[in-house]
Amino acid sequence: MLKIKNIDVFHGDAQALWDVSLAVEKKEIVTMLGANGAGKSTTLRAISGLLKLNKGSISLAGVRLDKIEPYQIILHGLSHVPEGRRLFPSMTVMENLMVGAYVSSAWKSRSSAVNEMTEIFPILKERRNQLAGTLSGGEQQMCAIARAMVSQPKVLLLDEPSLGLAPVIVERIFEVIQRINRRGVTILLVEQNAHIALQIAHRGYVIETGHVVREGPAFQLLQDQYIKQAYLGL
Amino acid sequence: MAIILLILPVFIQDPYIMNIVILSLLFAVLACSWNVICGYTGIFTLSHQAFFGIGAYVSALSSMRLGLSPWLGLLIGGASACLTGFVIGLPCLRLRLGPYIAITTLAFSEIARIVCMNLVGLTRGEMGLWGIPGFTDISPWGGHVISFSGGDRTAYYYVILVIFFASLGLIGWMLRSFIGLAFRAVRDEQDAALSLGIDTTWFKLLAFITSSFFAGVAGSFYAHYILILTPTSVFSIELMIEVIAVTLIGGLGTFWGPVIGAFSLTVLLEYLREFGEYRFMIYGAMLVATIMFMPSGLSSKLFPEKE
Amino acid sequence: MNLKLIAEQMLNGIVLGSMYALVASGLTLIWGTMKMLNFAHGELYMMGGYVLYFSLILLGLHPFWGILIAMIIAFVFGLLMEKMILRPLLDKPGWHVSPIVATLGISIFLQNFALKAWGERFKSVPYFIEGTMDLFGFRVAYQRVLILVVAAIVMVGFWLYVKRSRFGIALRATAQDRDAATLLGINSHRVYLLTFGISSALAALAATMLAPIFLVNPWMGIPPQLKAFIVVVLGGLGSFGGAILGGFLLGCIESLATVFLSSEWKDVAAFAVLIAFLIFKPSGFFGTKEW
Repeated sequence: MLKIKNIDVFHGDAQALWDVSLAVEKKEIVTMLGANGAGKSTTLRAISGLLKLNKGSISLAGVRLDKIEPYQIILHGLSHVPEGRRLFPSMTVMENLMVGAYVSSAWKSRSSAVNEMTEIFPILKERRNQLAGTLSGGEQQMCAIARAMVSQPKVLLLDEPSLGLAPVIVERIFEVIQRINRRGVTILLVEQNAHIALQIAHRGYVIETGHVVREGPAFQLLQDQYIKQAYLGL
Repeated sequence: MAIILLILPVFIQDPYIMNIVILSLLFAVLACSWNVICGYTGIFTLSHQAFFGIGAYVSALSSMRLGLSPWLGLLIGGASACLTGFVIGLPCLRLRLGPYIAITTLAFSEIARIVCMNLVGLTRGEMGLWGIPGFTDISPWGGHVISFSGGDRTAYYYVILVIFFASLGLIGWMLRSFIGLAFRAVRDEQDAALSLGIDTTWFKLLAFITSSFFAGVAGSFYAHYILILTPTSVFSIELMIEVIAVTLIGGLGTFWGPVIGAFSLTVLLEYLREFGEYRFMIYGAMLVATIMFMPSGLSSKLFPEKE
Repeated sequence: MNLKLIAEQMLNGIVLGSMYALVASGLTLIWGTMKMLNFAHGELYMMGGYVLYFSLILLGLHPFWGILIAMIIAFVFGLLMEKMILRPLLDKPGWHVSPIVATLGISIFLQNFALKAWGERFKSVPYFIEGTMDLFGFRVAYQRVLILVVAAIVMVGFWLYVKRSRFGIALRATAQDRDAATLLGINSHRVYLLTFGISSALAALAATMLAPIFLVNPWMGIPPQLKAFIVVVLGGLGSFGGAILGGFLLGCIESLATVFLSSEWKDVAAFAVLIAFLIFKPSGFFGTKEW
């Protein structure tokens, strides 16, 4: 469904990704693991169009994402929860969710779409009129995911959802991610926390300094010696 | 090039052309001094016209009211501009964003302009300060008197030339030293500079007072050259925009850029005089075109390797 | 000190302040979304004044149409300015300075264009409504009341629009986090484009309202622009509500300064207040922490 083929991405003059290829099939959870600065976020940003490709292609269900404007990508059913959540700090939780409904089709029915989200994420219902900047880390992450889900995307990109969160919260977030997947949403999950990522993922890729070094089914990666040492601390 | 400048008057006697060259040199000094604070230290100020104006008026008034020699006036003008630079610089130290600094410095300049306009008793306001004494005759090497009266601009030319060389020399020395390095550190990576123990506050202030000093000296020269001042002629935003244009077109942050820009623009504007009122329209358009298509200025085209 | 005189001046100050708020709101809108200072704002204001003059005097239109046309033309001009000159500079380095230079250039160009095209003589435009009325015991010109009413309607209306409408949400989102907004389907370039247009229209509106009082000329935009700078700093760069509050505050400060000092010194008072704010409270009333 989502195919990333041989992409090269640069940050200014410095190359960040070399010939990276990924595939995510429908209704899968695929995870991309790697250390800080390995290129995980860069890959997601390239998919969402925030970074341009020097080489290669990215397509979703046959549509070339790298050939359209970044703001149009969400129209094709791909939603990205960026690194650091990036909520709109001076807007309330409700208003943040409203922005999620910006894309034309969702706008007219935005109230119901937003309300549905607050049902799925009860914590947000409680905090609906609170300024997003005042939420706790876990609540912000929930809000960010909910905001991305308002437009009912087919594919969800998640950039390090566990970052800066306590283990208990992380577990809850990952439960949510699994729930979303069970509703039929395809997920590409980028994570530093390999342990929990591999627990929910079907397949995984490992990226190091801009190159894909390992790929395979999750259970296989869990057994892999190298990964066990480098990423699972075993 | 220095040699050309030195022997120029031998070939050119026409006062009209001399005037253009003198003004070019004047603008070169002004632009170079602004380049110190904007191009090298990265602080975009809109107060250079204030320094120029204060230097001009203080020098003019000290020779008219206090009977001081205009030669001394150059220094007094520079010093008072320098003091103003310090005062204006202080609030700017905390401000990080360009627009805030721009507004602050503009506010100070406007205050200076309005004060000058309103203190009619002192400055004669918009009616103009007439009868400013020109440079007094000097006899540097016994017997031969260098006179500044009459239509001959040659003497004035040499004065501004000396100022030009002195300013550029001092500024150049400063920029090549550690000070210049510190300026650029403030411009490019303020936080990194701080962590390296560079006192950015001190260097920012230094940038303010040095750039304002030279602007003030330029102003003083102008007062004793043109012999009449009005607030609008020296304190206006137009003057500031000219300085920006000259520096930008020549090359912001390069050493020779402002000089190239000063000569190019002054000559160009004279040439455009035939276009009359279209002059400033072309001027404005050039500013826009430069920032859009040639932001590093002419010097990067002429000297691609340099700085 | 004559209390009645002070009150009269204060009333004047409030009326003027509402216009400062109108002009400043456009400026703060651009700052909030694009993080730039528009030095040609005064010339967009000036353009509004001239269009009104031509509509009323040459075409003999009713002021309502004159104002509308002025706003539309300014809007279009703002769009063109953004699209052709500012957008190319947007993603290049030096953005904290390049738009200042570019808009300064545009400002000079437009001022001298007006000078060349329409001459240096100040042109007058008749009051929209003649006569005065009694307000709390003061004699107030209808024109001034009209100014206040228009300012109130426009600003409240605009504020509501930004709060509720789809474009309003896009605007606020883009201002707070451009990338996050893009990910949610918002075309930030179009937001900038329209913001510029709206800002220009607001400036033109203020010009049309004040034209009968202050006369039309190539340099008419310079003082309002300077005042607008003061207002946006007072209110906090980027804050619409702050611009409104700041506008009224400045109007009052100026009128008090006129009473207690003299009209020549009122601008110095205004600038002094600006500098004081920049020293003690740079973020203004409602501004962000960035300064």
